[in-house]
Amino acid sequence: MREEKIHQYRAEWSEAEQGKWGLVVDQDLCTGCQACVTACAMENNIPFVGEEDTAYGRAMHWIRLERFWEGEYPEVKATPFQAVMCQQCGSAPCEPVCPVFASVHSQNEKLNVQVYNRCVGTRYCANNCPYVARTFNWRDYDRPEPLNNQLNPDVTVRRRGIMEKCTFCVQRIRMTEDQARADGREVYDGEIEPACVQACPGEALVFGRIDDPQSAVSKRMKNGRAVKLLEELGAQPRVTYLKGGA
Amino acid sequence: MTEALEHSPGHELERLRQEHLMLDPRPRGEMNALVMEAMHTTSWKFKMVFALLSVVVAVCLFGVWGYLIAEGMGAAGLTDPVYWGIFLVNTVFWIGISHAGTFVSALLRVFKAEYRRPFTRAAELMTTFGLVQAALSVFMHMGRVWLSYWLFPYPNERGLWPNFHSPLSWDFLAINTYLLASTMYLFLPLIPDLAMARDRSTGWRKTLYRILSLGFRGAEGEWTHLRTAMNIFAFAILPVMFSVHTIVSWDFAAAMRPGWNSTIFGPYFVVGALHSGIAAVAMVLVVVRATMKNMKYFIRPEVFDALGKLMLIVSMGWAYFFFNDYMVQWYGGDSFTDTLLHFHENGPLGWMWFSMLIFNVAVPWLTLWNRRVRRNPWALFGIGLFINIGMWFERYIIIPTSLTINFMPFTWREYVPGVEAPLGIGTLAFFILLYMAASKLVPLVPVWEVQEGQMAHSLRKVGKETIVSVAEME
Amino acid sequence: MTEKISLLALFPDIDPAAQAVEKLRGMGLTDDDMNVISGTPATEAMLGRPHQWSNVPRLALGGALGGFLIGVFFAFGTPYLYPIEVGGQPLIPVPPSVVVLFEMTMLGLLVATFLGVFLDSRFPSYAPKEYVPQISDGKIAVFFECPVEKRKKITDALAALGAESIQPAEAQKL
Repeated sequence: MREEKIHQYRAEWSEAEQGKWGLVVDQDLCTGCQACVTACAMENNIPFVGEEDTAYGRAMHWIRLERFWEGEYPEVKATPFQAVMCQQCGSAPCEPVCPVFASVHSQNEKLNVQVYNRCVGTRYCANNCPYVARTFNWRDYDRPEPLNNQLNPDVTVRRRGIMEKCTFCVQRIRMTEDQARADGREVYDGEIEPACVQACPGEALVFGRIDDPQSAVSKRMKNGRAVKLLEELGAQPRVTYLKGGA
Repeated sequence: MTEALEHSPGHELERLRQEHLMLDPRPRGEMNALVMEAMHTTSWKFKMVFALLSVVVAVCLFGVWGYLIAEGMGAAGLTDPVYWGIFLVNTVFWIGISHAGTFVSALLRVFKAEYRRPFTRAAELMTTFGLVQAALSVFMHMGRVWLSYWLFPYPNERGLWPNFHSPLSWDFLAINTYLLASTMYLFLPLIPDLAMARDRSTGWRKTLYRILSLGFRGAEGEWTHLRTAMNIFAFAILPVMFSVHTIVSWDFAAAMRPGWNSTIFGPYFVVGALHSGIAAVAMVLVVVRATMKNMKYFIRPEVFDALGKLMLIVSMGWAYFFFNDYMVQWYGGDSFTDTLLHFHENGPLGWMWFSMLIFNVAVPWLTLWNRRVRRNPWALFGIGLFINIGMWFERYIIIPTSLTINFMPFTWREYVPGVEAPLGIGTLAFFILLYMAASKLVPLVPVWEVQEGQMAHSLRKVGKETIVSVAEME
Repeated sequence: MTEKISLLALFPDIDPAAQAVEKLRGMGLTDDDMNVISGTPATEAMLGRPHQWSNVPRLALGGALGGFLIGVFFAFGTPYLYPIEVGGQPLIPVPPSVVVLFEMTMLGLLVATFLGVFLDSRFPSYAPKEYVPQISDGKIAVFFECPVEKRKKITDALAALGAESIQPAEAQKL
C-alpha cells in the first residue's frame, strides 16, 4: 500500500508511530476546574513559585489549562479548555538539542525522559519544544514548614537551574509494573493512573497503552473528534485531544 | 599657478609620503622606539579610566554574577517562554566583534591588502578579548554553570559523552577551536616584536619578554618556520571563522520555531558579524590613535578610508541577507511566522526594529560614500557606534523578541531584562580593561610587518605619473 | 685541526649582506658555516642562501589527520560506546557528524602548525645565543665560522662591502 511505502521511505530510526503510553483529553468533558493541575503539583513536588514570579510567567505547573475566547464583549464566546502537558513526542525536538544528554528517549517506556541530575540548564530543550511544555527552576523556592510534609517521597526534588516537565507520572508506571511483575501478571488496562487522570472529576483524561488496540485509550483515539496538537510539525505527540463541541 | 605647484613632482611625492605609511619609511630603530614609547607611557587619564573600569568589572561583572549564581536564573529577566535573553544576545554580539580581528589579520593578508599592516595586532587583540566576553556570557546563561565542564568531551565513569547531535556541542567545539586558533595566530607574529621589546626593556618587563619571546633572534630557520606557519594559519583560520558564526547561527536555525528555522541564518550571521566587527575595529583604532603616543604615524586616514569602504560594502551585504530572510518569510510564511513579523514591526519593540534598519543600513549608506567622512576618525567612530548598536538590536530582535511568539499563543509573554543589564555592561568594561592592559604590555603595532611592507613599496614613474608599486617579497 | 672562530658581521641592508654571503662562499666557507639573522624576514632567494626546509607543513597535515581521527571518535565512536537515543535522529546522524569532523580537523591542523613552529625552531630556548640587539633595530647580521688564519682576510673583505662591525660572536643570554 502507498502508506506502507511512505513508512519505509521515512527514516528507519523514528519510533513507530504508535508509541507505548498515551493520553486522551476529552475537551467536551473538561470543566476547567484545575484539579489536574493541583494533583500534578502535589504528586510531583512542584515548587510554589510565589506571586511575583507567577505574575512574570514563571509558574512551574507541568500541566496547564489553556482557555481562549472569541469575539468582543458582550458577544464573547469561550472555547473549550485545553489541558496541555508534555506530549511525550516520539520524535521529540527537545531531545537532540540538549548538549549533555539530559533529555533522552526511554526505550522501555517510549517516553521522553528528563534526567534532573544531568541538566546544566542551557534551556535549549525548552526553546525547541513547540508545545512550551517544559518549565525551569528559576530559583530555589522555599517550602516553609509544614509544607515540606506533603512532599512525595517517590519523586526527586529539583534545585535551581534544572529543567523539568510532565513525565506521565513515570514513578506510578514503574511502581505498578513492578507490582504486576511481582504478582506474576500483566498490568491491566486502567490500573495506572497519573495524578491528573486520577484527580479529574469529569473523567476527561484517559491514560493507557496506545499500542494495545483494546485499551480504553486506543478506543477513544478512534473517535471522530480526535486531533493531535501541531501534528504537522511531525513530533509524533502521544496525547490526543477530542475536540470540544460548539 | 597653484595648480602647477600642486602637481609639481616634489609636492606629489610629499603628498604620497604623508598619505601612505608604506611610502613613509623610517629607520627601524626609530619605529621600534615609537612603539615602545607608546607602550610605556601611561598618563593619569589612563590610570583613572583603568581604575574606574576595574571597579565596574569587579562590581557589575563578578559581583553581580556571583549574585546570579547564588540566587538562580530568576534574577535575570528570563521567563517561560523567553528562555534565552540578553545573555545570548551578548554572546552572539561578542563573537561577532571577534570576527573583526580574524577578518583583518587573515582575510586582508590573504588578499594582500597592504594597508592592514599597522593594525593587524590591534584587531587580533579584539578577537581574543571579544571571545573571552562571549565565553563569559555563555557561562552566565547556564542554569547550573558549576557543571559546565560536562560539555567537555572526556572519558568518565558515568558512561556519558556530550551529545554531538546538539548545536550547543558544536558551539563548544567551534568556539574553543576559534579561541585557540586566534590566540595562536595572535602570538605567532608577536614573537619577533616581543624579541624587539626584550632587547629594549629592563627589569620585570625584560624578564617577561624574554620568557615570552622564546629565545627568538631572527635566524633564517626561525623566520622560515614562522612565516610558513603564518601562511597556513591565514588560510586555515578563514574557514574556521566562517564556521564559528555559522554554527552559532545554527543554535537558532536548527530549532523548530517560527522565525528561527530559516536556512539563510548561516551566511546572514557571518555577514552580520563582519558588519559589527569591522565597525568595532574602526572604533578601537580611532580611540587608540587618539589616546596612545605616536600612533598617528602608524594609523593614518588611509586606514579609516579603507575601513569605511569595507563598512559600506558589508552593510550592503547585510542588507541583502536581511532582505532575503525577511522577504521569503513575509511572502510564503505560515501564520505563526506572519504574526512574528508583525510583532517585530508593530509590537512594543517596533522602535528597535526600525532603529536596527536605520543604524545598520541608512546611516552607513548615507554617509560612507563621502571620502571626507570616511577619513574623519571621529565621524567614523560615530558611524561605527551606530552600526554596533544596530547590530545589537538585530540580535535582540532575533533572540528575546522572537521567542515571545511561538506555536502556543496562550504562553506568549514579553521579556523584561533584569540583572542582564549590569552584567552586559560588565563585559564591555572587561573588554576595554583587557585591551588597555594589553596595550601597555604588548607592542601594539607589528613593527616588523610594517617594515616588511615599507621595504616592498616603492614609487615608480609611468609616463608622467608617479605611482605606487608593491613588490612581491614572499 | 684548523682552529675556528665565530664572527658576527653587522650590515645595514639586504644588498651588502647578500654580497657578503656570496663573498664568504667564494672564500671557502660552506653554507652550513653561515647563518643570517635579521629583524625582518628576508627570503633565502634574496640572500642567496640555500632553500630552507620546514617541517611545519608536514606537521600541519599530520595534525589535521590526528584531529580528523579525534573527530571520528567523537562522532562515530562515542555513540557506539555509549548509545543514547534522542528524538527522531539516528544514533549516528550525518550532518552533525560533518560539523564535528570539520571542527576537530581544523583544530588539529592549527594546533599542530603552532607546535610545529616550536618544534622546528626548538622554542623555547633560553640558552645563551650569539646575538646583538641591533638586529631587532633592522640590521642584518651574518654569523659565520671561519678558520683563524683567514680571519684578517675575511674581515677586510666584509669591511669593504660595508659591514658596520665585525666582532667575535659571544653567546650571551638574550
